[in-house]
Amino acid sequence: MESIIEVNNLEKEYKLGKVSVPALKGVNTKIYSGEFVAIMGPSGSGKSTLMHILGCLDTATAGDYFLNGEEVSKMKKNQLAAIRNKEIGFVFQTFNLLPHLNISKNVELPLMYAGMHKSERKKQAVKVLQEVGLGNRLQHKPNELSGGQRQRVAIARAIINNPSIILADEPTGNLDTTSGNDILSIFTELNKLGHTIVMVTHDPVVAKKASRVVYIVDGLIKDGAVD
Amino acid sequence: MALSIKESIQTGFSDFWARKVRSLVTVVGIVLGTMSIIVVLSLVKSINQQTIAWMMERGGLSKITVRKDWSYESQTTVKDYFTWRELEFIHSLIPEVEYFNPQNRTRLNITYADKDFRSTVYGVVPDFAAIEEWTADQGRFISNYDVVQANDVIVIGTRVKQELFGNKNAIGQYVTAQGRRLQVIGIMEYRYMKGNNAFRENALEYMNRQSFIPITTMIYKGTGEDRFDYFTLKASNPQKAVQIARKLEAIILNMRQGEPVFRIESAQERADEIQGDTETFRMIFFLISMISLLVGGIVIMNIMMATIQERTREIGIRITVGARRRDIFTQFLVQTVLVTSLGGVLGVVLGVSILDIVGGYLGMELTAGLDMVLIAIGVSAGVGLIFGISPAIKASKLDPVEALRYE
Repeated sequence: MESIIEVNNLEKEYKLGKVSVPALKGVNTKIYSGEFVAIMGPSGSGKSTLMHILGCLDTATAGDYFLNGEEVSKMKKNQLAAIRNKEIGFVFQTFNLLPHLNISKNVELPLMYAGMHKSERKKQAVKVLQEVGLGNRLQHKPNELSGGQRQRVAIARAIINNPSIILADEPTGNLDTTSGNDILSIFTELNKLGHTIVMVTHDPVVAKKASRVVYIVDGLIKDGAVD
Repeated sequence: MALSIKESIQTGFSDFWARKVRSLVTVVGIVLGTMSIIVVLSLVKSINQQTIAWMMERGGLSKITVRKDWSYESQTTVKDYFTWRELEFIHSLIPEVEYFNPQNRTRLNITYADKDFRSTVYGVVPDFAAIEEWTADQGRFISNYDVVQANDVIVIGTRVKQELFGNKNAIGQYVTAQGRRLQVIGIMEYRYMKGNNAFRENALEYMNRQSFIPITTMIYKGTGEDRFDYFTLKASNPQKAVQIARKLEAIILNMRQGEPVFRIESAQERADEIQGDTETFRMIFFLISMISLLVGGIVIMNIMMATIQERTREIGIRITVGARRRDIFTQFLVQTVLVTSLGGVLGVVLGVSILDIVGGYLGMELTAGLDMVLIAIGVSAGVGLIFGISPAIKASKLDPVEALRYE
């Protein structure tokens, strides 16, 4: 099977004044195309840090990171921006939508930065919003929607550029059980359609939806550990 | 992958509208700055145009005037007037002058039948018409023959004609002034220039009340006095007029033992002087406008800094979905320029309305030229460009992970 993500000895240190705090201490892992992987671990274990590095929002202090066989860890800032734009779709716990834009405009954002023409990206935004069941809410602002609906907007935004991988950081953390399950079934659906998904969670019930669970404890991957 | 300028402007615009009130408050300094640029520039321009227009109506820039300086008090007994012979002597020393008009004036009651009218009567030679670029358009003006003969003839202004004759024919009729019968040989062209205020509709109306007789008739038959404290000349062009004025000054000073009893002034010099004054005025106000724009720029820079702080999370989101540093930089720079430019437009609109009000009050046509509008808007856009750079850099350098955590 073809690996989408491969990290070798990934290390990350944060500098707090004069003290260096290690967050990742040499992570090795591979994620394959079509997988639905859950990353679990207690808070402070480094799972968010790993997520940020995988999402090209942050860079590792040491180690290699290959995305689709390309060495991301050696890329320049503008290249990383292009990777974030085309290869990665983010879904956050707090949705992270722009409050003053309607949801259609929110979903268009990645295409706008990709330089796509206005009318074309509008068409695509409508299409993905219909896919997540919000085709009748295009002109609404995020604060006019429920939490579950907002997260669906965020998912639409994440998939509009047809990325290699979807990174979800506690996507159900701010939702009630029903909406949370809705969101998880959307992820399952997307996974069936061929999307590769990496989801950070601390909830074992949520993690069960994934095809594989990776545990991270104290900055290291613990393979085979079972909850 | 790039965000086009058009896209950036649209983003900037929607940001602007989302924060209308703040955007307006932000640009008060810019509005005032551009407003004063517009007002001052067009005020100065209009005053200058008015001055030149006035000079042109009064014989143009090649005219030279010699008049007694009433503010000068002579310590000796030098004559503060010229005689006819002295004037002829002066004229002979400046052969390069085109026209020379020794002139005298008095106020007289002119009567015809049962009507009378008090008119300012000038004793002149034919050169008057050439110097003032004003002559009779009915009948004829004073001729050399009239001067040599000291003929009893008179050319009257349109108002004089109207008051004495109404719609009747005046030419060839006789009027009486100081007991002397004078034949009307011509009627001067009607003079009009839009007045400076509501009370004086025609700034040149006083000229229509004037009358003209041969200078010889006046000094030999009228006042009987061979005294001139005023005469006018005209050169072929304004530059020559300035030269001749300086030469005249030397000649006349010499004739009066070095005492400046007379003032010699060319219209060109007068115009330059007035324009020099307005230029100083303009520079001072331009500087004040610049200071207000500078203050406005600093205010905007601070507000943009605060705005970026507030929108940290938004910036984080934009970076997450693929915005490059350059996109973020452009977004905020364009927004700042947009805000200041709109402030500039607002300033221009306000300035134009102020000009309208002031112009209505002064009875002047005050208009802002396209060049001034472009300067004002260009300068305000420039302020945005300069003061928008550092906030835009700050925004583009935000760390996305930190930015996403920002509450």
